[in-house]
Amino acid sequence: MNESVVQLRGITKTYRIGREITVNALRGVDLDVRPAEFLAIMGPSGSGKSTLMNVLGCLDVADGGTYVLAGENVNKLSDDKLASIRNKHVGFVFQTYNLLSRLNAIENVELPLIYGGDRKQRRERALAALEQVGLGDRIHHRPSELSGGQQQRVAIARALLNDPSMILADEPTGNLDSRSSAEILSIFQRLNDLGKTVVMVTHEPDVAAHCKRVVRMRDGLIAHDELVPRPRRAEDEIALGIGAAE
Amino acid sequence: MKLYDSFRSALQSLVVNKLRSALTMLGVIIGVASVIAMVAVGNGASQQVQSTILSLGSNLITVMPANLSDQGLRGAGAQAANLTLDDMRAIQTQLGSTIAASHAEQGAGRWQVTASGQNWNTNVNGVSEDYPIVRDWPLQSGDFFSGSDLTVNAQVAVIGSTTATNLFGEGDAVGQTLQLRQAFGGGGKDQRARILNFKIVGVLATKGSTGFGQSRDDQILVPITTAQRVLTGRLNVVNTIVIKATSSDAMTDTTLDVTNVLLQRHNISDPASADFSVTNQNDTLAALGAVTGTFTLLLGAIGGISLLVGGIGIMNIMLVSVNERTREIGIRKAVGARRGDILNQFLIEAIALTGFGGVIGILLGWAITEVVHRIPQAASLPLLITSGTVIIAVGVSVAIGVVFGLYPAMRAARLHPIQALRYE
Repeated sequence: MNESVVQLRGITKTYRIGREITVNALRGVDLDVRPAEFLAIMGPSGSGKSTLMNVLGCLDVADGGTYVLAGENVNKLSDDKLASIRNKHVGFVFQTYNLLSRLNAIENVELPLIYGGDRKQRRERALAALEQVGLGDRIHHRPSELSGGQQQRVAIARALLNDPSMILADEPTGNLDSRSSAEILSIFQRLNDLGKTVVMVTHEPDVAAHCKRVVRMRDGLIAHDELVPRPRRAEDEIALGIGAAE
Repeated sequence: MKLYDSFRSALQSLVVNKLRSALTMLGVIIGVASVIAMVAVGNGASQQVQSTILSLGSNLITVMPANLSDQGLRGAGAQAANLTLDDMRAIQTQLGSTIAASHAEQGAGRWQVTASGQNWNTNVNGVSEDYPIVRDWPLQSGDFFSGSDLTVNAQVAVIGSTTATNLFGEGDAVGQTLQLRQAFGGGGKDQRARILNFKIVGVLATKGSTGFGQSRDDQILVPITTAQRVLTGRLNVVNTIVIKATSSDAMTDTTLDVTNVLLQRHNISDPASADFSVTNQNDTLAALGAVTGTFTLLLGAIGGISLLVGGIGIMNIMLVSVNERTREIGIRKAVGARRGDILNQFLIEAIALTGFGGVIGILLGWAITEVVHRIPQAASLPLLITSGTVIIAVGVSVAIGVVFGLYPAMRAARLHPIQALRYE
């Protein structure tokens, strides 16, 4: 497929802190993400990777440049339009899982379908997604009754639910031990094998080593963009009994 | 987002914070309950006032002597003795069948009464023969005295049911004799008493309290001529003439007719200088209705203020809730919630709080009126919870949910997803 999932051209974003200080978080970023890519975005803090991630996820809009997501130009869309785009095209996985504590696993997974989609299929699809991440037996557990790794898997199931164009993961293993991290990474790799596009922000080289392509940011620009010759397989590491980040 | 889902998530969050939801609702519950109870008391009071007035007889026009005035100065409480039994008879003759009935009345004051060894003290009134018709007051036994009893100044009496019970217990009073006593002369040895025998010919049916703290069932009625000649000595003078119009619609016309008859008889050409005053019962009802309406409004307003305070409580809690759930709002927005979805969610939460509070408040208000009914002093007060009151109370509490929930919900809807997600 030639069509890019993500096409960024000259994206700029400036923040204003207080009255006088302005921060150029993004200074003209060009980036293409093709279908079924597994991309890591790396960079030191302040390099603009969080801002890039927010723009990619349509949580924030760029000041300049064009952004085409799955064939739709998302520049200058209204808040509600952006919400629909997020609902349809982006599946978020956060470092802190961001599950709703008073809902159980399956209700958390169903959330995107509440805001778009057919009510009748909701339970069915949520169940399928939870089974895909290996939590088919914990659907009625609340987040507080699940381990960190399990919570992150619920979050991944939620991200999968609307069959998004791209899964956007922000330090998904940041709060996890090495064993759970490996499990999460193996899920991403498996999804990617099935053709899902995954974009992951991380600062850990060991985690990035599982991706097919690594983009490094510095001072609001992309400094390096390279393919990983032979990505590490998380499931092999689990089999060998070593964690991903060891 | 479907409305059903909004409802579900609103209810879920209310159930999660049970204590807080209950305390927040309490404000609305108390507000609605007080509106319901207060308005019920107000409505009940105004209905009681109306029924009390109507229980004195319906479609009544009352003629009383005017206050004596001299070039605009009024004598304090002094009334001219210028209405006579003949005036009443003239009204009867001249107006004929255009009025239903009329009677004249002269109070004879309080008397000591004895009969069958029992002692009692009560009011004695001289009235004319059509009294039971004018006052819509049937007899429970015996007959009312007739016009011929008036002609011969017969010493006969019709007594109230309470008076009958006090003097004769359960026994039959009709046919018995009672004695009216009045002490005169000085105190001590010189004191002598006048004793008058009256034969009881009838007992009035029970009417109950006037609501003004006096029982109308405790009185003795004697022919007005007997009262004038034997009891008071004020010959031919009457205190009041009461005319019963044929219908409520005829009252204005009848009032005019009565006034004209009396003006003519008293040789007065200018109605403004009439030596009597004519009061139309409809006017009295309207005036009292206005008073009790204001009273009800006042009570309702007091309840309304507590409802307002409850509403502010709702707003306060909703603001806290929005703050507390900033992260949740961020998550919901990240997965695709639009502004309207978030707005609905919080608005429905507020409306659910006030709606439930309203329903519980109505039940509580109803319970309060039931308790008030159990208080002996208020037992006779009809407490009216009308469907109108209920609809208004529910409507107002839901409206309070909208008004006081809107601002917090708008704040929630306007949150930026990134800031909301980062919120700790």
